[in-house]
Amino acid sequence: MTSLVTATNVSKRYGDVRAVDNVSFEIEKGKIMGLFGPNGAGKTTLLKAVLGLTDCEGQLSVLGLDPFKQRKELMQNICFIADVAVLPRWIKVSQLLDFMEATHPNFTRSRSEELLSRTKVRKNAKVRELSKGMVTQLHLSIIAAIDAKLLVLDEPTLGLDIIFRKEFYSNLLSDYFDGERTILITTHQVEEIEHLMTDIMFIHDGRILLDSSMDTLPDTYTELMTSGENADKARQLGPIYERDVFGKKAMTFEGVSKKQLEGLGESHTPSVADLFVAKVKGAAA
Amino acid sequence: MIANQLALVRRELWEHRSLYVTPAVVALVMILAILTAFVFASGYQEIVDIGIVGAQNLAGDAERRAALMALLIGNTMPFLFAGAILTTFYCLDSLYAERKSKSILFWRSLPITDAETVVSKFLTAAIAIPLIAFAVIVIAHLVILLITSIFVGIEGGSSMFLVWKSAPIFDVWAAILIITLLLPVWFSPFIGWFLFVSAWTKRSPLLMAFLPLVLLPTLEYWVLRTHLIFDAIKTRFDHLPIFKGIDPELFFNEERFIAEADAVSLLGFIDIGKFLTSPQMWAGVIVAGLFITAAIYVRRYRDDT
Repeated sequence: MTSLVTATNVSKRYGDVRAVDNVSFEIEKGKIMGLFGPNGAGKTTLLKAVLGLTDCEGQLSVLGLDPFKQRKELMQNICFIADVAVLPRWIKVSQLLDFMEATHPNFTRSRSEELLSRTKVRKNAKVRELSKGMVTQLHLSIIAAIDAKLLVLDEPTLGLDIIFRKEFYSNLLSDYFDGERTILITTHQVEEIEHLMTDIMFIHDGRILLDSSMDTLPDTYTELMTSGENADKARQLGPIYERDVFGKKAMTFEGVSKKQLEGLGESHTPSVADLFVAKVKGAAA
Repeated sequence: MIANQLALVRRELWEHRSLYVTPAVVALVMILAILTAFVFASGYQEIVDIGIVGAQNLAGDAERRAALMALLIGNTMPFLFAGAILTTFYCLDSLYAERKSKSILFWRSLPITDAETVVSKFLTAAIAIPLIAFAVIVIAHLVILLITSIFVGIEGGSSMFLVWKSAPIFDVWAAILIITLLLPVWFSPFIGWFLFVSAWTKRSPLLMAFLPLVLLPTLEYWVLRTHLIFDAIKTRFDHLPIFKGIDPELFFNEERFIAEADAVSLLGFIDIGKFLTSPQMWAGVIVAGLFITAAIYVRRYRDDT
């Protein structure tokens, strides 16, 4: 396995605020990494550092390049969608394709046109005339036509209705992801990408709370539904987080085997959303 | 590198349609004005007749040439003023609008450096706008001469002789092309300053660009009782080193003009050597370079999205 992104002790300060605080991680080729964090956790700052849009302290290598110093070279092999609103509103679809073709060495126009032909996006329309969902389709059709090694998506489906959101992710998997490419994605709608991620990372207050493969998540984390005496026994095993659910206690355990919890209640692997809450609240406690 | 610049400048023309719409509107207004003038002049039949008879029989080649050159130059000035205003607004908008609309994030997701982007905006201001203006000026001149020749023809004059054979069009066009390309170089400190303000300001670029031009000289005079900044700005406007100094003896020597009508030349009045050896021109280019470098730096390091 080769790692596409290697971060070692990366920090980014805005005045006194440490938006990203001494973070280290790796992203390997062919992975779909989900990055989650509450608002202001440092997600966007971290993505910007990876994309070379902001400078940072520490060592950060993306595709073997220094992202801030070698942004041009980097962008030949990376694409990103930051928010659907960023496509310029005055540009025509055909002009956008012309421009991409002229400036991006890894862009295949016919591929983009093929993807657009499946949508209602007309070539002579201006971006400002398109609905938000259509703008996202347009952006994705451009991104998917770039033979890039890493795709970075920052809240790509923000403000879209459920149909466009579902379609976005299914198109992403069918048109873009082929096991060779790598995706780094952030979203608030965790449940929508839970099934397509291979790896997961939580970030809170600029620090990484969790960095795991989805496969090993069930071995490490267990959620137990329990009550009464069993709850007291379970509590002695040191849950990282506890909450009330319909009069029962839901406890989240880290590194406690499902066997140890047997007989204390109903146990299962927590959903990513629940695990996220447990980790963030547990870290705050 | 060059292919990227071409694509980037083309991109500017897509975004800022005013770059060709404005000169076209100026041309239209001028053509309408000329038409109105001729319709108005038709009411004074006798004077027109006398004028044409005089131009045909009494005036010399040099006089006819000079009169038509004055017509063409007069019809060029509005383009230069409009071009100056257009360039100012274009520069102030060019690096500000993309931040305001957040499309800067999209542009920066492409394999194009900040330097390439800022340079493309400068090239648009310094080369694309003048070339478009020049093309429209040539078209406007042709239409105006055509209208003039039709008018002269209707009034019974020989338009071939009075207009087309007398008008020094290629001399004037060559001169205008040189002037439109040299003017942005001479005024490049302003272009650089406007680009910098556009990249840097958080709001109202127009105000932020012009306020310092007023405040700084005022402040300097209050505090130091000097006016160096004011002089530097003023020099840009009254010491344009493009034209030869007028030699009164030659200029008012009527016999010379009568002998050689070709001496009536706008091109002959231009002195490129003087321009290229002007220390003020080079000082301006250096100042422009500093502002453009600052604009690149701000676009690269500014992080307010």
